[in-house]
Amino acid sequence: MSIRTLILQQLANTLANGGVVSSDYSLEANELPWNASGQPLYVKNMRVVYVSEEEEAKVQLYRTLDQGDVYQTETLVQAFLSEDAKNINANNPTVIENMLNAKDIVNTANGFNVQVADSGYEQEIEGDTITYTFEYTFTTI
Amino acid sequence: MAVMNITAGSQAILTLGNTEALSLPGAADGMVIPFVQDVTVNAAPGIVRYSVLDSSSSKAFTTVNENSVSGNMLVDEDSFFGLSGATNTVALNGLFATSTAKTKVFFTVAFEGADSGDHYIKGSGFIGGLAPTASMDAAVWLSPVEIIVDGELTAATV
Repeated sequence: MSIRTLILQQLANTLANGGVVSSDYSLEANELPWNASGQPLYVKNMRVVYVSEEEEAKVQLYRTLDQGDVYQTETLVQAFLSEDAKNINANNPTVIENMLNAKDIVNTANGFNVQVADSGYEQEIEGDTITYTFEYTFTTI
Repeated sequence: MAVMNITAGSQAILTLGNTEALSLPGAADGMVIPFVQDVTVNAAPGIVRYSVLDSSSSKAFTTVNENSVSGNMLVDEDSFFGLSGATNTVALNGLFATSTAKTKVFFTVAFEGADSGDHYIKGSGFIGGLAPTASMDAAVWLSPVEIIVDGELTAATV
């Protein structure tokens, strides 16, 4: 199971169970955040969380004389959420908190030896729309 | 004249055995230390310097060699703690137990691999210097290792 799939799995839970799904928010589990008529889907469809495809880099952690080298995989996944800046939903802080904590689903029990798991977000207001861009970064061995 | 390229992964090999035959490069039951990051053969003679009244430079004479082989490795479970069923008792007991028991081991450091004509250095001594360290940054166990050589180092070919 990929890291993106795990994050989608976590975010698909209800708000009370660490996900984003509620009467006000939902998760797009199939589509990537592509642009429709020049506008990203997450701006067009507010309060719908979109998760990007993951980006990966394999980096050599240790070189050994017998070439039994150890590699680490660096993975980046982004998630997007937009809201009406004039009328922020009351559940917004919980959604953001749950989205930040979704990184915890990537763990040894789910098949990943995680060395580093970070999450964070940036926000940008354009017109009356606030867009949150979340970044999940993982270093796995 | 040619440099000895070790990048193929089959050249710089540290092999241990409880007998000299088991420690030779390519020996069937030789214990090849895996995941070695670097290996250093120290064969410098001891030097004593002294001054004389009729020279502005110091003079020197040699004393006995203090030979050793040192390196760093990623800790391998079997080689560190032992591999059950191994006929080579160094492999059977592992580096840690062999070190704490102060058991004498035979070793070779192959410079060019284990093919016919390849050069290696051999000797015997005691395993020391183990200091396994773990940290989240390192991600795996790392340890230095040293063989304190008992006697001479000898060059030979496979």
